[in-house]
Amino acid sequence: MFNAVVEKKQGSKASDGIINQQVIMILVLAMCVFSFFCALSFGAANITFTDVWQSLWQSLLPHETSNDTNFIQRIIVELRMPRALLAFLAGSGLAISGLILQIVTRNPLADPYLFGISSGASLGVVILIAFTGGIFTVMTPIAAFVGSLVAMVMLMLIAGRKQSQQVESMLLAGVALSFLFSSFTSLLLYHTDPQAVTAVLFWTMGSFSRAQWDNLFFPAFIIIACITFMLAYRRQLNAMLLGDESATTLGINVNRFRIIMLLLSSLITATLVSMCGGIGFVGLMIPHIVRFFISQGTVFGIVLTALVGGIFMVWVDIISRTLLVNQELPVGVITAAAGSLFFLTLLYFRKNRPS
Amino acid sequence: MSNGLKTSQTTLVSAEQLRWCADNNVILDDISFAIEKGSFTGILGPNGAGKSSLLRCLYRFIKPEQGIVSFESQDIWQINASDFAKKVAVVLQETPSHFNLTVHDVVALGLIPHKGIFARANKSDDENISQALAQVGLTHKYKQSFEHLSGGEKQRVLIARAIVQSPSLLIMDEPTSHLDVRYQIQIMELAKSLGITVIASFHDLNLASAMCDNILVLNQGKLVCQGTPQAVLTREMLSDVFGVCAHVSEHHQHKVPHISYYYGYIQHDTEHGDSHV
Repeated sequence: MFNAVVEKKQGSKASDGIINQQVIMILVLAMCVFSFFCALSFGAANITFTDVWQSLWQSLLPHETSNDTNFIQRIIVELRMPRALLAFLAGSGLAISGLILQIVTRNPLADPYLFGISSGASLGVVILIAFTGGIFTVMTPIAAFVGSLVAMVMLMLIAGRKQSQQVESMLLAGVALSFLFSSFTSLLLYHTDPQAVTAVLFWTMGSFSRAQWDNLFFPAFIIIACITFMLAYRRQLNAMLLGDESATTLGINVNRFRIIMLLLSSLITATLVSMCGGIGFVGLMIPHIVRFFISQGTVFGIVLTALVGGIFMVWVDIISRTLLVNQELPVGVITAAAGSLFFLTLLYFRKNRPS
Repeated sequence: MSNGLKTSQTTLVSAEQLRWCADNNVILDDISFAIEKGSFTGILGPNGAGKSSLLRCLYRFIKPEQGIVSFESQDIWQINASDFAKKVAVVLQETPSHFNLTVHDVVALGLIPHKGIFARANKSDDENISQALAQVGLTHKYKQSFEHLSGGEKQRVLIARAIVQSPSLLIMDEPTSHLDVRYQIQIMELAKSLGITVIASFHDLNLASAMCDNILVLNQGKLVCQGTPQAVLTREMLSDVFGVCAHVSEHHQHKVPHISYYYGYIQHDTEHGDSHV
C-alpha cells in the first residue's frame, strides 16, 4: 500500500511534466532571445538595449541614419552578431555531438573530446606553427580541420572494422589516439620557440574572436544538417539506449548506425574546433543538465539540448568579453570553471533530494 | 493444442540442422525443429545449454554456421532486417541504462520497423501505444522514467513495446528471471494472452509446464527432446538433463505435469560420486 502511495505521487509529478514541456520550451526560447540581446549589448562599447533594437530594425529596413548610430550599428551587425551566432552554434553543436556520442556508446561520460578529435586538431595547428613560424593565418582553421579529420579517419578504421564490442574498442581507441596526438604535440612544442607555445596555448583555450559573417555559413550548415539527421533518426537513437541486441531486433544495423553517428559528431566537433579552438566540457555537461529535467527520447529533448548548449555558450562569451576590462578571457577557461561549478551544484542538490 | 498437425502450412518457424560455434566451442549442434502458428513453445535446459544462443539464431542476431532458420518458409537471412522486425518482436532480459527514457518512449520504440525516418507518430500510433500500455496494465505510469520501474514493470513495458511492434512471433529470452513468482506468472500469462506465436526460454520448469504447448529441451548444445509437457517433463529427463531427482505428478488445476524436487544431494554425492550428473 505504501508503494501505491508513492506511485501515485510520482504519477502526478510525471503528468505535470507534459504541461511543463511547453512552458520549458517557451522559457528557453525567451531566454534565447534575451541572451542574444545581452550579447549584442554588453561589451567594450557602451550600447543599450534600445540601440540594439533600433539597429536590428534598421539593418532589416535600411533608413537614413546619423553617423553615430551608424557606428553602433556596425559594431552590432558586423562584430557582435556574428560572434554571438558563432558562440550559439558552437554551444549547440558541441552539446548535440556530446549527446549523440553518449547515446550511441551508452556511456554517459562520452564527450567529443574523448575521441581524440580535438587533440588531432591541436596537432594540426602545432605542425602548421612549427613549420611556418608561429603566426596565425587563414591556414590555422584548415590545419585544425585536417588534423581532426585524420583523427576521425583513424578512429573509424580502428573501431569500424570490429563488429563485436564496438563500443569498447571505440572508447579505448579514442583515448589512445588522444594520447598519441598529445605526445606528438608536446614533442613539436618542445622544439618550437616560446612565442609559438603561447600562441598554441591561447588557441587551445578557445575564442570566438575570429567570428565573421563569411565563415559562419559552413559551421551553420554542418550543425543544422546534423541536427536534422538526428531528429530523423531519433527513434533509432532511443533504441540504442536499450542495448545493441535489443536495437538489432528492431531492425537496426547497429554497427553501421553507430559509425554514421560518430562520423556526424566528429564532423561537428572538427568544424567547431577548427574555428573556435578547444572548448571542452560543454559536450559532456549540457546533455546531462538537460537530462536532469526531461526525458531525452523526444524531438523536444534533442532540440532543447541544442538550445541550452547555445544559450550557455552565448553567456560564456559575454562573460569572457566583459569580466576583465579591455581584456578577453579564453572561452575554454570560463566554460570549464562555470560549467563544472554549476554541474557540481546540480549534482549536490539532486543527491540530497529524496527521489 | 493440436499436436498431430505438423504440416508445412501451420509451421511458422523452423530450424534445420543448426550448428553454431563460438571460439571453437560448439554451442549449438544439429538442432532441428518446427514451431506451429499460434503455439506457445518453451525452451528448457540447464545453464550453458545454449538456450540464449538458439534464440539469438531465431531472432537473427547470430548467423548459424550451418543450417537454416526459416520464418514463414523463408530463410530469415534472406529477409530484410526491418521487414523481419515487423513480424518478430523480441523481449530480452532487462538491460540497464543511465538515460532518462520514459515508459512511453520505450513503448514507442516498437514503431521503429513501421516508420520511415521522417514520419511522425500519428493518431493511430498513439492509440496503439496507449492500448499496449493498457494491456500490460501500466497506463498510469506512461510518463515515468523507465529506469525507476521495478523489474516486473520493466518486463511489462518491454512486452508493451513488442505489442506495438505488432508481430506474428514473440521471442522472449528468460523474461522472468529475477522476478517474483507473481510477476513470473503475470508476464507469461500476458504473453500467452496476446494470441500470437510465442517462443520463450524458461528457468522454472513448472511454469513452463503450465504455459507451454510444446517444449524443446537443450543440453550441451544438443536438442535432447521435444514435445508436449506431458511427453517431455519426465523423471528420466530431469535426471539426465538437469541432474536432479524429482517426482512428477499431475497439477491439480489443469492436469499438466507438476514437478517436486527431492533434496539432499551433497550427502548422496559423497556416497555415490557424481553418478547421475
